[in-house]
Amino acid sequence: MKKKILISDPTLRDGNHAVKHQLTAEQIARYAEAAEAAQIPIVEVGHGNGLGASSLQVGESAVGDMEMLKAARRKLVRSKLGVHVMPGFATIRKDIEKAVEVGVDVFRVGAHCTEADVTRRHIGYVRERGKEVYGVLMMSHMVSKETLAEESLKMESYGAEGIIIMDSAGAYLPSDVTERIAELVKALNIPVGFHGHNNLGMAVANSVAAAEAGATILDGTVRGFGAGAGNTQLEVLIAVLDKMGYSTGIDFYKLLDAAEIAEREIMKVIPAIQSISIVSGLAGVFSGFSKHVERASKEYGVDPRDLFFELGRRKVVAGQEDLIIEVAMDLAGKKVSR
Amino acid sequence: MKSSYVMDIVQEDCRNALKRPEVLGALKGETVLITGGTGFMGTWLAEMIATLNDHFGFGTKLFLLSGRANNLSARAPHIAVRPDVTLIERDIRGLMEIPQEVSWIIHAAGNPDNRVYASEPLRGIEVITRGTAAVLDCATRLPNLKKMLNVSSASIYGNQPDNLEKISEGFFGNLDCASVMSSYAEAKRFAETLCTVYRSQHRLPLVCARPFAFIGPYQMLDRPWAVNNFMRDALLGGAIRILGDGQTVRSYMYPSDMAFWLLRILTDGVPGQNYNVGSPEGVTLLALAEKIADLFPDKPRIASHLLPPGKAQRSRLVPDISLAQNSLGLEITVDLDTAIKRTILWNQAQQKLTKAGESKR
Amino acid sequence: MKKLKVAILGSGNIGTDLLIKTLRSPVLECAAFIGRNLSSPGMTRANSLGVKISDRGIEAIRSEPDSCDLVFDATSAIDHRHHWSVLQSLGKIVIDMTPSKIGTMCIPAINLDPCLDQRNVNMVTCGGQASIPLAHALGRTHEVDYVEVVSSIASRSSGPATRLNIDEYVETTEDALAFFSGCAKTKTILIQNPAVPCIDMQTTLFAKVKQPNLEALDREVKAIVAKIQAYVPGYRLLAGPVYENNRIVIMVKVQGLGDYLPRYAGNLDIINCAAIATAEAFANKNEKKDTDQRSHAPRR
Repeated sequence: MKKKILISDPTLRDGNHAVKHQLTAEQIARYAEAAEAAQIPIVEVGHGNGLGASSLQVGESAVGDMEMLKAARRKLVRSKLGVHVMPGFATIRKDIEKAVEVGVDVFRVGAHCTEADVTRRHIGYVRERGKEVYGVLMMSHMVSKETLAEESLKMESYGAEGIIIMDSAGAYLPSDVTERIAELVKALNIPVGFHGHNNLGMAVANSVAAAEAGATILDGTVRGFGAGAGNTQLEVLIAVLDKMGYSTGIDFYKLLDAAEIAEREIMKVIPAIQSISIVSGLAGVFSGFSKHVERASKEYGVDPRDLFFELGRRKVVAGQEDLIIEVAMDLAGKKVSR
Repeated sequence: MKSSYVMDIVQEDCRNALKRPEVLGALKGETVLITGGTGFMGTWLAEMIATLNDHFGFGTKLFLLSGRANNLSARAPHIAVRPDVTLIERDIRGLMEIPQEVSWIIHAAGNPDNRVYASEPLRGIEVITRGTAAVLDCATRLPNLKKMLNVSSASIYGNQPDNLEKISEGFFGNLDCASVMSSYAEAKRFAETLCTVYRSQHRLPLVCARPFAFIGPYQMLDRPWAVNNFMRDALLGGAIRILGDGQTVRSYMYPSDMAFWLLRILTDGVPGQNYNVGSPEGVTLLALAEKIADLFPDKPRIASHLLPPGKAQRSRLVPDISLAQNSLGLEITVDLDTAIKRTILWNQAQQKLTKAGESKR
Repeated sequence: MKKLKVAILGSGNIGTDLLIKTLRSPVLECAAFIGRNLSSPGMTRANSLGVKISDRGIEAIRSEPDSCDLVFDATSAIDHRHHWSVLQSLGKIVIDMTPSKIGTMCIPAINLDPCLDQRNVNMVTCGGQASIPLAHALGRTHEVDYVEVVSSIASRSSGPATRLNIDEYVETTEDALAFFSGCAKTKTILIQNPAVPCIDMQTTLFAKVKQPNLEALDREVKAIVAKIQAYVPGYRLLAGPVYENNRIVIMVKVQGLGDYLPRYAGNLDIINCAAIATAEAFANKNEKKDTDQRSHAPRR
């Protein structure tokens, strides 16, 4: 029997980072339709940082959360509609409740990799409403495999039906992934997943390493459409997984079609590993910061590479975009005083 | 009145469990203290003693100690207002005195909800370790204490070894004390040790029960345990979701049996002895999910989650109850099918009640 | 002068830090430190400082109603509902540290005086105490379309209750921001950062306005920052106000006094400093009333 992998596709969520959260309802509907045709199991939709994250801090969405979700909902039948949720941005009453009513099937409740306990109420609420819920640990490269296992166990105890660790900075090498996934598989009684970024060109290799270490959930986006250097490129991942004897239930030709459609209709630029993305990966900084760093470095006349390394040194986490301005001002000030 | 229907189910269960009420005769005219008195166990024990008083003229006085006495008014208001029941609101960690008239104690405080031990293990284990020490210390100063029952937990056994079909009281456990997930079980083990020490040093008449898993009214469906989740998924009208191939084996006892067993262990258990309390009838989670699904008119689908290859969760946790059966004549009187049926019935009645309450508002 | 007698309900981090600040105050006296668990670190600390302690919760005040005039409630929003019903009937002044939304919201730099006529004053949230004065300054100088506040705090400075109730924090802060800035559309974000050494609390305010007037805003901001610094010594303007990327940005940093928790816990410090400032204002008002009454009393 072929080993099964559950694919979750955040093209319409992580990809939103790549266009400063400007995806329109039409674009979402168009890709959702193509994803449904390709039988992608879970289609994640929304602002790059998930429900309730449209803000001046991270970037305002062109379209409200519920409008985005409804646009996708109408096109999805067999494919499930998923969202990313971060407590601290989204609340149950303002966001999750409404998303349940709009018909979201899968909630992925995320927290920085050491802060799993902020997700307890949110995970519990989703379960109470009878929807699927996963726990997501972001920026997972920042801590040891033991800490990841302990934080995952918290989420499991809250009712999470699977744990996904994110390489939010694109900082992992395959051996890092193997070690962490193996630890989680050993510690947990629920499925384990991996979400890659491609800053160091390792996203597909890392995802394969995850599967080989026992992960049964993998994230990927078409053309790698996502924050920074982009995500694991889904078409490539599916081809490789198939070649390795894994089954995903995805229609490969239709997936290639979906990628063409997405490239044509929703991407301004196809993600590529730009010099600055390599720096970001090396510095271990959240991929979603790249557009902000680009802008702030121009505005304050500082080298974006210095900015990334300084942010990495300060150990900033997802959601701390305001620090980019402060650090840029700092660096600019130092330059002047010199 | 609709609300009485919810109560009826429980009261009928209590009457059915008391086929031979006279075996609990030692409690007649006595005063019983239950710590954790407003929790799931405390409420069932109170229901059972209320039944003994109302139908069998026991005249037993009951003190319920709880850190949150309001819980009982929400969960079982009819118990909270009874003249034979006195609520004591007190954090058990700081307990300094037990009413002098108390002659029997059931120490059932300590939240088994593993979410508490994930987020705030320090508070959780303190309630168990300091709380148990405080109760034991107070108990040494009671003039007429006949016996105290420490409600421990099956979790003290850790993982049931593959070659063991059923866990008996003589199994010494299989736990990793360095794992964060062991804090509840290790605290419970220490509480048992404390009891042993108090029994030895102070000659306190202490008996211990090790409860396994239960299914029934008053259990909150938001608890992250398989059976609760199945039940909730089904009540919500969605698919029942299970992990992997669903071959994990558990057993479930109905709480009226549980309450009767605990009272019997209190009155007739031998000090120093530990008794498993649970059902010996193992059931796979898949079979359990199917049993639940069968009871709904639009039979819910059963959906399985992917587990890594070779990671099939095939753990079992099933007690050997021959000690309780042979020495105390205890039996399972409610089988699993009936237990599930009545639990669903009670939850449906409860749901209607909540909805009626909401629409009134 | 006669000190105002206060009781502190809740022996966690907030309660214990309030205790240390109360003991330092020239106009407040801690009459009782009340929790539920005698073995908690807060209780032990209070006991070692010679403060009268009780583990009987609200019952400790109900049974000795004359022991205090003002109560800090540092328990939880759910418990506060019950506590208030008791304290209201006893005629106590209550300073509520929980996000219960029962009392009048108080930001000392903005509305201290009117709050002194209330019996139940709510201290909003830590992020609210840091950011609302800035939003208020903005509202006085601009027609504001949208206000957003992002606070980053050290993971160590947020206890289990804050973590469990992160939604209440977000929603309470948003409501208060709207109330004090006059802008209906608000957003609050809370980030917890585990970096070691622990980060100081930092709060950034973003806003969209019709016509930016940085000069006027700068004046207002400087004035209100000075007012806050009078009761929160560790509060300082880090950057701004600037107008960039079509938005106003103001950043502040809050370092704590290091009373009970270390200095990184500026979030805890700012709400407690605000509560102490409020209690001291009540004390001064009482004293003044007493003095006035004495001076108006007919001489014999």
